[in-house]
Amino acid sequence: MDQSVAIQETLEREENCTIVSFFCSHALVYGLLIPEKKDCLFETKIFIYNHRRMAITGDDVSLEDIIPISLDFAVVEVFCVVCLILGADTRVRVSYCEEELELRLPFGSHSRCFLTEVNRAWSGRSSLRVISLAPASTTVGKLNQHRKTGLLSDFYFVEINRHSSYSGISSREDRDDLVRSSSHTPSNKAQILTMPQFGLRDTLIRCELLKNEESYTYLENFSFFLGTYNVNGQSPKESLRPWLSCTLNPPDMYCVGFQELDLSKEAFFFNDTPKELEWTKAVSEALHADAKYALVKIVRLVGIMLIFFVKKEHAEFISEVEAETVGTGIMGRMGNKGAVAIRFCFHNSDICVVNSHFAAHIEEYERRNQDYKDICSRLQFRQLDPTQPPLTIMKHNVVLWIGDLNYRISDLDVDNVKELISNKDFETLHTYDQLKRQIDKEAVFDGFLEGDIDFQPTYKYDTGSDNWDTSEKCRVPAWCDRILWKGKNIEQKHYHSHMALKTSDHKPVSSMLIVGRINGEAYKKTFEDIVRNIDKMENECIPSVSLSQREFDFKDVKFMQHKAQTLSLFNDGQVPCQFEFIQKPNEPTYCKPWLTANPYKGFIAQGGSVDIELEIFVNRTTAPELNFGKQMIEDILVLHLERGKDYFISVTGNYLPSCYGTPINLLCQLREPIQDMTQETLRKLVSIVLNTEKPLDIPKELWMMVDHLFRNAIKQEDIFQQPGLRSELAEIRDCLDTGMPDSLPGSNHSVAEALLLFLDSLPEPVVPYHFYQQCLESCSNASQCEKVISMLPQCHQNVFNYLAAFLRELLKNSASNRLDVNILATIFASLLLRSPMKQDFAEKRKTQEFFQHFLIQGSS
Amino acid sequence: MAKQYDVLFRLLLLGDSGVGKTCLLCRFTDNEFHPSHISTIGVDFKMKTVVIDGIKVRIQIWDTAGQERYQTITKQYYRRAQGIFLVYDITSERSFQHIMKWASDVDEYAPDKVQKILVGNKSDEVDKRQVATEQGVKLAKAYGMDFFETSAFTNHNITESFTRLAEQVLAANKKDLDLLRMSVNDELNLTALEEEEGLCDSGTGDQGKGCWC
Ligand SMILES: Nc1nc2c(ncn2[C@@H]2O[C@H](COP(=O)(O)OP(=O)(O)O)[C@@H](O)[C@H]2O)c(=O)[nH]1
Ligand SMILES: [Mg+2]
Repeated sequence: MDQSVAIQETLEREENCTIVSFFCSHALVYGLLIPEKKDCLFETKIFIYNHRRMAITGDDVSLEDIIPISLDFAVVEVFCVVCLILGADTRVRVSYCEEELELRLPFGSHSRCFLTEVNRAWSGRSSLRVISLAPASTTVGKLNQHRKTGLLSDFYFVEINRHSSYSGISSREDRDDLVRSSSHTPSNKAQILTMPQFGLRDTLIRCELLKNEESYTYLENFSFFLGTYNVNGQSPKESLRPWLSCTLNPPDMYCVGFQELDLSKEAFFFNDTPKELEWTKAVSEALHADAKYALVKIVRLVGIMLIFFVKKEHAEFISEVEAETVGTGIMGRMGNKGAVAIRFCFHNSDICVVNSHFAAHIEEYERRNQDYKDICSRLQFRQLDPTQPPLTIMKHNVVLWIGDLNYRISDLDVDNVKELISNKDFETLHTYDQLKRQIDKEAVFDGFLEGDIDFQPTYKYDTGSDNWDTSEKCRVPAWCDRILWKGKNIEQKHYHSHMALKTSDHKPVSSMLIVGRINGEAYKKTFEDIVRNIDKMENECIPSVSLSQREFDFKDVKFMQHKAQTLSLFNDGQVPCQFEFIQKPNEPTYCKPWLTANPYKGFIAQGGSVDIELEIFVNRTTAPELNFGKQMIEDILVLHLERGKDYFISVTGNYLPSCYGTPINLLCQLREPIQDMTQETLRKLVSIVLNTEKPLDIPKELWMMVDHLFRNAIKQEDIFQQPGLRSELAEIRDCLDTGMPDSLPGSNHSVAEALLLFLDSLPEPVVPYHFYQQCLESCSNASQCEKVISMLPQCHQNVFNYLAAFLRELLKNSASNRLDVNILATIFASLLLRSPMKQDFAEKRKTQEFFQHFLIQGSS
Repeated sequence: MAKQYDVLFRLLLLGDSGVGKTCLLCRFTDNEFHPSHISTIGVDFKMKTVVIDGIKVRIQIWDTAGQERYQTITKQYYRRAQGIFLVYDITSERSFQHIMKWASDVDEYAPDKVQKILVGNKSDEVDKRQVATEQGVKLAKAYGMDFFETSAFTNHNITESFTRLAEQVLAANKKDLDLLRMSVNDELNLTALEEEEGLCDSGTGDQGKGCWC
């Protein structure tokens, strides 16, 4: 029922607020209102209303209190073992100023939503406390007046356990009571209520995953030898060993880059040069002698070449090798400048090695920055899977970048440079290095690292010597040739130039980088372990309960006999759980109509338990089918745990057929007590009408009851008006169903009620349903009424007349039993003339009128 | 590693009571074997993550009550499965004959696209064998299913049979999967995907009402 309408009606127009959420609890309605306009005089408040009944209009509710959600406001959840087990209510303590009150919120989405909104409002609360500033015409103002009269406190005390520490009203006992039920004090305002975290499990799992990732995986180191050499178009004239075999131990990988391999026109225009082979040969001859290497890939763009060797034993872990080139020369395309790159996958890491030759000339550093950017964006490796976007350099875990980057030393004249060099003050000199400056300005190589430079500039020498350029250009020495890297777990072992080589006007540079790599096998194993752990955790987190019993046998079940058994659920899982009996297919409810589970849904805290009563009660609606074995006391309940398993609970019982709920015509065929008949005989009686013997005039059970009353209760005061005893009713039922004693047990009143119950439980009333309409139509005419009765099936007619005769006898004794026609007509008409549909009052009167004809003395 | 899985689907274990469905499940998910037979009364499930073809697959495996009297109810769970194990016990001719009945129930109640696999469990019980391997092979062939003889006791063919069924389910849902693969590298799409997973999860969550639909 949406009571927000009622709340809205109570609000003054100018208050312009929206009811965000509300809920009802006990006698109170709580509404959370927020101002529509950002009006600082009206912050979000909880309005508490008292209501007379289910609130439909504004008149039904009266405002009792307002709690502003200001700085003084706090909500804490009251944890107590009892309520967790009951699961029904969420208890929260609301406090503001010096007052506090405890609310019980009915378990459910309404309350959760309310708390969420309160919480949200609290987070965005204003620091103003405005309650006393509000104009008197508003609801708030009215309340303030109200409050002054002091009407409120007592009411609250009873209704919601309100505590007002300054009012002094609360007694000691009340306080203790509250303290006992709560383990929190509202003073700690940091403990703002948080919503139940149903997604918590997922988050936990994810955290665990990340936490473990570090500790489970371990790094394995691989050494990468990186070399870069601008060979100025020369052919190899000397061994490259001083450069490539300068390390004590053989590196795991070699990435060797050349620039200006061939300056000829052929190379430029046709990208064809004999130098490729010459230098490759020179390199392979100069690799470390202590290990065997496999050539993985060569890539060349005009004079820019990159060769990739790997130690033989690692070759099998190299995969997805691709090479690409990008020209950035004349017209932004030609290959005299640009880059070549090789990418590959080593164990689980994607690695990319780039060898580049940027634009020359001291003033062109911005052009060089541009080259870098172009290469990064234009160099793309194709993917094995054509549906995937191409792979760029920066998408790799590790990027190693070598080459003649051509950045110069600026703002310092040649002499100063040479002096710093001869003083080996490379640190100072480095501050004039364009590359360093550009990196510091984040204009290029963002995220890359370079080791300290502890060698003299590698450019420009007179070929064949260690002398600085003596040509008329007399270039300023520069660190053109560089090695940079990007990625995690990389450590530089050395960064050198190699003066011994004199073939070119550049000196080659080398660096040994130790790249830490997640060990492939360990990684895989770790991954599997974690996944297994998560699965395990997750499986442990599936809600689970143990059941005291799976099968409930109710043994013998009798008509209108209440039987109950207890099913105990114990939450043996790792998480709290919600259970519910759920509906089965093609069935309107979770169980058969003669069965109920109480409670049929609820909440069980971890380690907690809940007792569910399974109750059986066969009434007149369910009895007929059970009497003849068309239905059995048999059902399977599906107990479902939210996010968890389903349990099947089977319920069985043995229904003892009864004359109650058995049609008159069948009863007339039973000469023996109904329970002496086999199920088989009964079933046959229903299907093929056995006409072996002449049926009884009226059911013997009816005769027994009426005869008993006739003999013993004809003068009984208040007969049919005083209820009988439950236990005696059961005895009478058993007696009718099992034997034919001379007299029935129990008091007259019990027998009388047993008779009424018998009539009430007939599946087809004494006046069968399809005569009902006719009865109504003829009710004002006595002979018409008799005519209708004469058309009833014989046994029904007999029963009707027999009962009417008996009732007339009773009326003869009305002086003692105080019955009159009206009373009897009222009682019996409703049993004998039942409507197939819902009966209205006018119809009821007609049925009584009908039956009265038969109660008047002297009629038939 | 932030993402736990790419796809989620449900497999269902069917077969007579006592053929070893619960044991197969325990062996596969927890690598444990408990010799005691506590018959499953209801529907239980466990989760297991496997990597197939580079795709992290989270499998929810449902274990059902095998007893006759619960079958009208358990049948209602069929339609929510993407893959079904039809399990018999090689030491029980009866359980093998019942496979026909199980298979026809599956035809009637499970979705058309459902993948099936035949499993003859307790292969370790050589001396008590009543159903020859060839009989299993033949039946599987007749149904066009794959066939495994397994032992939850010795852990024989357990991972193999589960993985095979999972692969078949993946293959049967290839179209949806290809879409997924395409977005794997794209970080933007990943979040979208995670939201979808959320949906999957809530699908599991409200079995309460969704159970019979
Ligand atoms: N020897 C052997 N016994 C098994 C195997 N799998 C299950 N069992 C036994 O078979 C019985 C029934 O197993 P269970 O998993 O509860 O059967 P379910 O009713 O199909 O779930 C148990 O006593 C198990 O110990 C197996 O592979 N080998
Ligand atoms: Mg089982």
